[in-house]
Amino acid sequence: METRVEGVESPDSIKTRVVGIDIRVEKTTFAMVDIRGDILAQDYFPTTDYPDVNDFVTALCERLLVMMEENGGYERVRSVGVSAPSANSVSGCIENAANLQWKGVIPLAAMLRDRLGLAVAVANDAHIAAIGEKAYGSAHGMNDFVVITISHGGLGSCFYSNGQPHLGNNGFAGEVGHTCVEINGRQCGCGHKGCLEAYCSRNGLVKTAQELMAESDQPSLLRQLDKLDIMQIVDCCDKEDELAIEAFRRVGSMLGLGLANYATVLNPEAIILTGDMVQAGKWLLKPMRQAFDEHVFHNIQYKTRLLVSILKEGERDVLGASALAWDVKEYSLFK
Amino acid sequence: MEEFNIKTKVVGVDISNERTSYAIVDIRGNIIAKEHFSTLDFPDVNNYVKTLSEKILTLVEANGGYETIRSIGISAPSASSISGCIENAANLPWKGVIPLAALMQDRIGLAVALSNDAHISALGEHVFGCAHGMNDFVVVNIGIGLGSCFFSNGQEHKGFSGYAGEFGHTMVVDHGRQCGCGKQGCLESYVAAKGIVMTAEEMMAASDKPSLMRDIEGLTPKDICDCCNKGDEMAIEVFRRTGYLLGIGLANYASLVNPEAIILTGGISKAGHWLMDPAYESLEEHIFPNMRGKVKLLHSKLDDRERDTLGASALAWEVPEYSLFK
Repeated sequence: METRVEGVESPDSIKTRVVGIDIRVEKTTFAMVDIRGDILAQDYFPTTDYPDVNDFVTALCERLLVMMEENGGYERVRSVGVSAPSANSVSGCIENAANLQWKGVIPLAAMLRDRLGLAVAVANDAHIAAIGEKAYGSAHGMNDFVVITISHGGLGSCFYSNGQPHLGNNGFAGEVGHTCVEINGRQCGCGHKGCLEAYCSRNGLVKTAQELMAESDQPSLLRQLDKLDIMQIVDCCDKEDELAIEAFRRVGSMLGLGLANYATVLNPEAIILTGDMVQAGKWLLKPMRQAFDEHVFHNIQYKTRLLVSILKEGERDVLGASALAWDVKEYSLFK
Repeated sequence: MEEFNIKTKVVGVDISNERTSYAIVDIRGNIIAKEHFSTLDFPDVNNYVKTLSEKILTLVEANGGYETIRSIGISAPSASSISGCIENAANLPWKGVIPLAALMQDRIGLAVALSNDAHISALGEHVFGCAHGMNDFVVVNIGIGLGSCFFSNGQEHKGFSGYAGEFGHTMVVDHGRQCGCGKQGCLESYVAAKGIVMTAEEMMAASDKPSLMRDIEGLTPKDICDCCNKGDEMAIEVFRRTGYLLGIGLANYASLVNPEAIILTGGISKAGHWLMDPAYESLEEHIFPNMRGKVKLLHSKLDDRERDTLGASALAWEVPEYSLFK
């Protein structure tokens, strides 16, 4: 049987894979992902090994090309999506990332495209988390939703409006961590006082626990810890330590209030929680839900779903980056 | 030949609690004819729909005829563009759920689109006002209540069930003033009409300082504004406090949405610089630092009533054409 028809491409020529890259301060993860979101191969290396961004790009591309050759070949790969802190999806650059070692404006998309000969899209981590949830996670099938990320000491978000990510006029939308929940409240790293992030991030939780210990002489397991961190405080909660439970109650109440204000303005179908803080489970989520219902506008009370992401922490951002890769136009040096 | 019969006009209707305005508007937003009548005269919605339809048909016949009209857009409080109904409007005389779009379409035989006043204001600003050419912006209406609507990527953001933009019911003061919605500390209970008067009353009660406001019975925000214009310090302080809280609310809104501009409309926005200056100062103080200096605070240039009839007319173009006779 004749399989080739002139002018009609055979199914083999369609590129069915993309690359997703998740650049974080400590670690860079990269993966080959197929149309259905199955990860075919995944690997990582320390970001901190490359203080010079040119060396980083060289090393990343070498590793990517090896991975492609081992998994069906370069010609099956359609495009590349990248998640990075402070990345601007409009310019394709990482712009003045506070915690990365590369300073200034880095035209990452252009650098990778020149090396790989494939189309490259970049976006920041909050935006990528939302794309990942929409494509393969808890927000699949939703048009209006919010994804909240509480990790790396921060509290960020991205929301979708009418099925599209809302990036705002300058690409800075979603800064829920820097909305004010308490006038003249706690000092935040951004310079303001009373930001939600100052209460509900990892640092906010630790600060709350320290304040509680200072407020009273009540005995607590927290007092015996050398270093306070999310999981240590959760462990104390599991042992029914009252101060630890109170710390999460306060953090959860503030979070519920902040999310209620968010939902009152946006009326989303769901708010999806991601990041390491979510590991606290019921200790955080119960007081959060209670404060949310107390403060949200009555028309949408009980109509907004609060969800915990179904995607694994290590996987959401490479999947999100791979979903972004499908959004760029195909490009090839050789055509 | 059909191309000679393209319909170049629509009807925009603005139903507000006291007054219903309607106008015939052409493609470019020129108002060809307009009329209004009292909404309060019709406690029964069936009589209201009958009268409104008759009045529209009379106006249409006097201005080019029924066959030149493409469709009708309506702005009403508590209207849902998704269901085409007015749903449990707090201040209208008609209770429950009213399928206004269907009722009007049956009477007039033209396509009817319905949306609520906050969305219509934003649409009016986008098509004919300050937000022309903008893709991401917020329109805030401060009057008896505090409502808003924002556009995302050039489309209005309605939310999952059409309730988005309830900016007035975001909390600014923990355990603050009691709001009509049942919650405490809502922004509306500080910066909308009643809230401003309450702030003035609280300030008068808290000190013995002389103020022109003390001589006024049944104080209104407009009176307070008049006192500001006469240099009354306490009245100026009332608006300063109001503006401060409004600025915090707007900063929170902007930190979420990162709009190109926030446009203020409604009766209270007429207080002008007494409100706008402290509001902008507070907005800049509280906004996420990356956006500082990048979000414009504007005062709408359109007349409030005209904006809503124009906005309703813009909405009319969005529905597919429909005719009983085709």
